[in-house]
Amino acid sequence: MSFQAYAALTIHDVKNRLATLANRAQARGDVDTVREALNAAELLTALLVCYKAENGWLGADIDAHAPIDLIEELAADSARLASLPVRMRPDVPGEVFFYDENLVRLAVNGALHNALRHAQHEVYIGARADERWLEFIVTDDGPGFPSEQLAESACPAGVSGQGTGLGLYLARLVADLHTHDGLRGVVLLHNDHGAHFTLRLPR
Amino acid sequence: MASVTEYAGKRLLIIDDMPEMRSSLRSQATSIGFQKVTACGHLREALDALRQTPFDIILCDYYLGSGTNGQQFLEYLRTRRMIPRSTLFIMITAEKNHDAVITAAECMPDDYLLKPFTAELFKTRVERLLDRKARLAEIDAMQDKGRWAEVIATCDEIISARDRYQVDAMRIKGNALIQSGRHEEAAAYYRKINDMRPLPWARLGLSRALRETGKLDEAREQLTTLIAEAPHLMAAYDLLGHIHAAEGDSAAALQVLDDASRRSPHSLARLRAIAEVAESAGDFERVEKSLSQVVDKTRNTPLRETSDFARLGSALTATGQADKALAVVDEAREAFRGEAENPALAAVEAIAHHSLGNPAKAEAALERALQGGDLGLLPASAMLTLAQACLDSGRADQGQALLKQVVQTNPEAKDVHARVTSLMERHGSADQARKLVADSVEEVIQLNNDAVRFGKEGRIGEAAEMLTAAANRLPGNLQIVANAAYALLVALLANGHDADKLREAERFRQAVRERAPNHRKLADIDALWARLAARQNALE
Repeated sequence: MSFQAYAALTIHDVKNRLATLANRAQARGDVDTVREALNAAELLTALLVCYKAENGWLGADIDAHAPIDLIEELAADSARLASLPVRMRPDVPGEVFFYDENLVRLAVNGALHNALRHAQHEVYIGARADERWLEFIVTDDGPGFPSEQLAESACPAGVSGQGTGLGLYLARLVADLHTHDGLRGVVLLHNDHGAHFTLRLPR
Repeated sequence: MASVTEYAGKRLLIIDDMPEMRSSLRSQATSIGFQKVTACGHLREALDALRQTPFDIILCDYYLGSGTNGQQFLEYLRTRRMIPRSTLFIMITAEKNHDAVITAAECMPDDYLLKPFTAELFKTRVERLLDRKARLAEIDAMQDKGRWAEVIATCDEIISARDRYQVDAMRIKGNALIQSGRHEEAAAYYRKINDMRPLPWARLGLSRALRETGKLDEAREQLTTLIAEAPHLMAAYDLLGHIHAAEGDSAAALQVLDDASRRSPHSLARLRAIAEVAESAGDFERVEKSLSQVVDKTRNTPLRETSDFARLGSALTATGQADKALAVVDEAREAFRGEAENPALAAVEAIAHHSLGNPAKAEAALERALQGGDLGLLPASAMLTLAQACLDSGRADQGQALLKQVVQTNPEAKDVHARVTSLMERHGSADQARKLVADSVEEVIQLNNDAVRFGKEGRIGEAAEMLTAAANRLPGNLQIVANAAYALLVALLANGHDADKLREAERFRQAVRERAPNHRKLADIDALWARLAARQNALE
């Protein structure tokens, strides 16, 4: 067997163990451990996706989805687990747009976890659209992205106080896979009373 | 947009090979209100459960251990129509793109859940999926029955309502157009969608429609671009492979399928397709390699099939491994006790004994093979093996008659013709081989032309008679069987009641319905049947 095969199997196995861990913690009402286990599993998923991308095997499975579904799902999922309230921004589109929902979920969820780690009081998630773009947005009221992260482009950030940087790298991969009508998706970061993460996709 | 969903009444089937995962999935399900939960650790158990009760939701882990996976299981269920479209199938995976499981739309799960997940997430997702199923319930039921005209009309209603399910309806409509044989329309429809927004399923649909309308160059071009842009879209490789193979370009077909196999090595359907192409290319080492994997992966699981053993055995005889072929036949007989007399297995045995220099044993096996029921209904590869066994044993007439039957059962399959030719060449001359194929095809074309001419000249009775004889001789050629049913019904409507003809028509209609529920001629046949029934009621 190749390293690749072992790595994939191991990741699968570790995710199973994390699932077991999460379920045991859930059973005794230990929400903090559930959250840690799920976040760890999420990182492994991101790792697999990045590996796939490295090998040119990652493709976007573009189809019609309503952003409200994804945003509601992420908000509901974090409602019981998160240490801070996750609020939905108003006016999330209920009509359908075209994107790979699984990839976008990974990207936005990564941003959401990041925001929850740094926020002081609350986190907002939402989506909005204009004639050209559909944007998924995650904002927090923490210290904001460090300046080197704001400056850096498509490269992974490396190990830093922000985690391993894998989440952001993944989000950029996901954005890059969304193209339409000569437009290409992009990840925008800026600070405005906290960190603002935007995954902008051509609509 | 969460709806009020009643879970208490929904039947949930959980399939996971790990006991602890099973029990935690079960407790998650009960925590959100499910009451009727069945959990299985093996496919065999799951199949038993599915045979006993219909389930509303199946939650299946992708990894099932011992070589099989959830995708193979889903393909098995869908191709055998063991679950209706209304059943929600959710695949649990470690990472959705892990095995690049984007296959034919028919064999896609309704959704993927990345593990681990919370009970809340499961609940939101199931609610959303059930809302969608509810909106599409009517269409799903029509699709299950193959009532494509109604499917299209109902899809049009949803599309014009412009609600959130309009894209689902568009996808289903495109498939319905293809299923009902309206290929030109389907191509135009998919083009229109792709002009608005190129979507992988619509591009794949366009390629399918182009292939059906004979625009093979354009279909190949579409698929090649699609594969370059969406390398995970396995269905595109499979379709392109089929097109190359049907055109007789087995080298190109194998290249495409091998490429697909590297990206997604676990698909049984693809390994079987590779074996099929390799068979027609005469590359029996490759057949052996692919089918050995299939046999290994499905050993002791319900996904195993007799034909895999028979074809593997046949490949082993072709590569001079007759003793191994006999071992495969023995294993198959052990595994499929009900099929000890399978003609393809007996034919492999005959060929193996022949090459090992045991003519008496070969003869005995061949006798058993030839008595194995209606040989005309065997798949092409089994008929070819049987024909080879006849030719090896010096039964030239019988062998050639079988080869003629294979060609006439598959008059358009160039890959099958290639195999017939290469078999004949080894037992006669190349000219003889080509002539046998050409004459056999010509005869079928002539038959269809005559039937059409008779029909136009008002001699529908004669057309029906001719097609009935042909359908009885070539029961595996569903085109002819369907035409026979159609002609008989037209004749009955024109010439009045005839109990024998009516029985014959019903038999042919049933045969088409059972073996190709989506056959494009079925709707016409059913319409005639209804007219005939109405008239008889009026007379009584």
